[in-house]
Amino acid sequence: MTYILTVDDSRIMRKIMSGAIEALGFQVLEAGDGVECLAQVEAHIEEVCLVLMDWNMPNMDGLTALKRLKASEMTNTIPVMMVTTEGERGKMVEAIRAGAANYLAKPFAEEDLMTKMVECLQDRLNLV
Amino acid sequence: MMMNAAGQSTNAIDAKLVNTLMKAVMEVCGTMAGTQVTLKEVVPSLDYKPTGDISGVIGISGDYGEGMLTLSFTEPMAALLVGRLLGMPPEEICSEDMCDGIGELVNIVSGRAKTSLSEDSGTLYRLSLPSIIKGPGHEITGRPKNCPFLFLVFEAEGHSFVLQVTFRYF
Repeated sequence: MTYILTVDDSRIMRKIMSGAIEALGFQVLEAGDGVECLAQVEAHIEEVCLVLMDWNMPNMDGLTALKRLKASEMTNTIPVMMVTTEGERGKMVEAIRAGAANYLAKPFAEEDLMTKMVECLQDRLNLV
Repeated sequence: MMMNAAGQSTNAIDAKLVNTLMKAVMEVCGTMAGTQVTLKEVVPSLDYKPTGDISGVIGISGDYGEGMLTLSFTEPMAALLVGRLLGMPPEEICSEDMCDGIGELVNIVSGRAKTSLSEDSGTLYRLSLPSIIKGPGHEITGRPKNCPFLFLVFEAEGHSFVLQVTFRYF
């Protein structure tokens, strides 16, 4: 089973992203903050193929969670795409430098979300 | 008109910010909720006292200014928009989803304002987490003293909703 993990403190956003994930034929995992994200990745480390990460969340923000994932040899190959209201160019650069594979600013159309997810998953899809 | 050291008016809301917010509301509703929204009027009057059944409130602050954005909806309008976000009929939207959805809408609109203000000033503005106020016909009156404000009244599919913008440069 292959999962895409959606990390957002808004249940609505997680539901919206879940619809797009399922439309691509993947299973959904959810987390409400960075701490839950790391726990979900650890629990499903062989099965998570992409993480969709919000930036501003309680307990642990998305940038910190991204850095933690990229700092570990166990998780640094999992692509992370930021999906956030943070639209400043400086924030995008910061996330890409921290290892984000892609960046999508809210608001977004579902087609844009799916296109960006496919871009992140290209290597994996080519292998299938 | 009073100006601060950066040449920004301290007793009126910047037209560019208002324009950014107006576009953000239209884009959020159009792109994510598939709902065409039009700006009905801009009201700069203290006598105007809009009410709503559910409101999302976010504070915004930075080195050069601070303010508050409030999106107020009637319950049918909120259910319509959140339903569109989720691809569900309005009557199936529960109270929890409605609150979460309105919180996310005000968060995205405020994010646009933050980006615009940050890029214009070269400094980072910050947002508070969204707060939700729910109750039939409530009125939002928590405006800081002497702080410029505007009401942007939008219309969609026979319903109106209001964005209250309160912002001042230091």
